[in-house]
Amino acid sequence: MNLFRSKEHARNWSEFEAGTEDGIIPLQDGAEIMSTPRHSQRLGGRAVSTAAEHAPAFFAKLREVTNNSPFWAPPTA
Amino acid sequence: MPEATQLDQTYHYVLETIVARGQAPHYTEIARNFSIAPDEGKRMLQELMAAGLPNWLHPGTDLIASVAPFNNLPTHYRVTVEGEQKWFAQCGLEALAISWLFPGKTVEIDAPCLASGEALHVSMRDGVIEREDPSGLHLYFNIPFRKWRDNLPFA
Repeated sequence: MNLFRSKEHARNWSEFEAGTEDGIIPLQDGAEIMSTPRHSQRLGGRAVSTAAEHAPAFFAKLREVTNNSPFWAPPTA
Repeated sequence: MPEATQLDQTYHYVLETIVARGQAPHYTEIARNFSIAPDEGKRMLQELMAAGLPNWLHPGTDLIASVAPFNNLPTHYRVTVEGEQKWFAQCGLEALAISWLFPGKTVEIDAPCLASGEALHVSMRDGVIEREDPSGLHLYFNIPFRKWRDNLPFA
């Protein structure tokens, strides 16, 4: 996941793949995706053992921020 | 609240070491921290890296390459806190999670745009973006999220 000057810059990147437009998101959306306990509580002392219980909130935030785009659907297993 | 597991404690030690000094510990330091033999420290590190989190070793070694949100190898995501640039982010998205590890402090992220080379800057505090320069920055990845784990270092 890389940072770009703008949406157009991302589209113009030499490694841009056709059909992956939903992979471009605004910076603020990225900050929101990284705002759930999975990321905010990494130094809470139980980051490994709580990873599974924190996953649903992270995936819900992903779906919310990306408008349920299939591109951002979590792994099924 | 349940007690922290050994994996939790190992992870916590590794992450807080990176936060403190900008570099990941060697497994002998893990061993010393927990007052165990070096080989036990190595085993604990290997178990941590197999725990399914976005962390990995350099291929063929027992050296930490990356522990999200940080990278132990320099990347183009330079991170500065209180005037000290001694951290690198694992990727552009993980860079946005680093401020959670420095509560109450402003975290500065500097990176070039991979398309134009233009200097980009983001300031964050406690998960909130305080400044982006220039405005209108975007993130992009060309692999669907469900496939990220197929090649985490690339992702």
